Amino acid sequence: MAVYKRTYKAYHGQLTPAWSRFTVLTRYGLSTLFNSRPFTAYTVLCFLPFLIGLAYIYIVHSAAAQAVLGVGKTIPGTVNNVWFLSFLGFEAGMGFILAAWGGPGMITKDFANHSVQLYLSRPISRTEYLLGKVSVLAALLSCTTWIPALVLFFVKAELQGNGWLWENLWIAGAILVGCLIWIAMISLVSMAVAVWVKWRIAATALMLGIFFLLPALGAVLDAILRTQWGSLINFTHMITIVWAHLFRLKALERHAAGFDVVPLWAAWASLLSLCTACFWLLDRKLRAREVERA
Amino acid sequence: MPATIEMQNLTVQLGNRTILNQLNGALSGRCIGLLGPNGSGKSTLINTLLGFYEPVAGAARIFGKEVKSHLRELRAAIGYMPESDAFIADMTGVRFVRYMAELSGLPRGEAMERAHEAFFYVGLGEARYRKLGTYSLGMKQLAKLAQAIAHGPKLVLLDEPTNGLDPEARIRMLQLVREIRDTGEVSVLISSHLLRDIEECCDQVLILKDGRIAALCNLEEERKAHLKFLELEVTQGNGFLESVRGLGCECASFGAGRVRIVLPDNIDLRQIYRTAAEHEVQIRRMNYRRDTLEDIFLKAMAGTPQVAPVQQGSANGSL
Repeated sequence: MAVYKRTYKAYHGQLTPAWSRFTVLTRYGLSTLFNSRPFTAYTVLCFLPFLIGLAYIYIVHSAAAQAVLGVGKTIPGTVNNVWFLSFLGFEAGMGFILAAWGGPGMITKDFANHSVQLYLSRPISRTEYLLGKVSVLAALLSCTTWIPALVLFFVKAELQGNGWLWENLWIAGAILVGCLIWIAMISLVSMAVAVWVKWRIAATALMLGIFFLLPALGAVLDAILRTQWGSLINFTHMITIVWAHLFRLKALERHAAGFDVVPLWAAWASLLSLCTACFWLLDRKLRAREVERA
Repeated sequence: MPATIEMQNLTVQLGNRTILNQLNGALSGRCIGLLGPNGSGKSTLINTLLGFYEPVAGAARIFGKEVKSHLRELRAAIGYMPESDAFIADMTGVRFVRYMAELSGLPRGEAMERAHEAFFYVGLGEARYRKLGTYSLGMKQLAKLAQAIAHGPKLVLLDEPTNGLDPEARIRMLQLVREIRDTGEVSVLISSHLLRDIEECCDQVLILKDGRIAALCNLEEERKAHLKFLELEVTQGNGFLESVRGLGCECASFGAGRVRIVLPDNIDLRQIYRTAAEHEVQIRRMNYRRDTLEDIFLKAMAGTPQVAPVQQGSANGSL
């Protein structure tokens, strides 16, 4: 099928490994997202807390920097598990906006353009299609959450010295596990609502509704029924409870922050229910062809 | 060598409806036409071959491999051009085709090269850097064809490829299909409502009606058979048709004096004139023609769809 010959010719060359095909979706997905300048600008903005955190850790450990800034030993706080939890909370908030902005559009566009059938007529399965799309969000959210948090952790370990790294290695584990749970949940919700409503604006609105309106509904239920189980539909709060345990917050600290409104198992159950519902929706709705039932 | 497509009691249900009902047959033409009225199951058959729908009974095979168990392998060997608009509007044409080729397994460099080649091949070379959303309907159809052939498939499934095309674009599309077919490196399955499109490109035709095979015939054999058809418009004449039948011709009357006759090789046209004269029948109009796909189609639509295995050429030679 050479350009100058203008004739059709079959392809007999090498093929890429079958397992790697989903990465094509990820690569093109990232490229499409970063075609939007506002999105790129916001992604860069997501690194601001990291830079501030980095500067903070440096200043805490540098007498020269403290002297130049004139803060001396009055600089507040210590870089410990609570500090990292707060840092992740902030980054997770920014990452949520990133996911709500970029996530649903990746799938709703495919539905709007009827291109799902084109993807699935290729040698990729529905799972691989989903994996490719989720990987876009996972890559973005990883770059703005656990990767910078781990960098800060190791910078802190390097500056602190004296075996701080080994004493606090569990914090690195908590950062990694906590972020992966959060990323999986956000990505699944993002994909599921996109597949369900098939309209980007509605999907983004629905995602915001799940994370902002449901907590309000939960609070109303709590007030009416005089219970605290309404928090089960406050998924942000549920993941914070899981994080609080992963970051080994003391009972008093958890109580002060309201992280003990429901037991840990209930928080896990709530998150698992949400993820199961997302999987169900994805399995039901992500198809090359929809069957109109008579 | 296995047939391109084989169906063995292939039954597909969507919801509670049976869309494909016990299809049996082997399609081995280089270019296979899929005909049938709306709702006859053409698109469902294509979707089943692509693995989008799972049969409730029976099986479909492509190149001798069962679709269900060799899905990934077969999809790599298939190029699919859907009926509806299917593309990514804010992507340039060449990027879209490259993307699809990469998903089929071509390495980046090869995919890029073949995307450019495919675009030039379908005649959109100058428009390849324009966004797909800005393409006209005809250009979108050609872009869909480009993405279907860019990865060099062995079988191309074209669902209504000439839908919405103006005559010039239609001719171009059919010419491309014939060129692809004539390379001998790829088999083509075309689903269409337009009999002429199928007649111009295909050497084998599968006609579906109500989810069953109404006819499966080899057009090449039909053409070779050179069955001679006469269409007459005559004044009413008692016994004319019986006498013509007595000559050994098959004939059918369609009312208002319209008669269709199949002329066997040993019957001369003069014998028909003579018979008409004997019965004092005036022949007002005469059209001398070969069997066409339209005849085959109309016969298939008039008859009862077959559930039992069909033989090739089963629709030939009878009115």
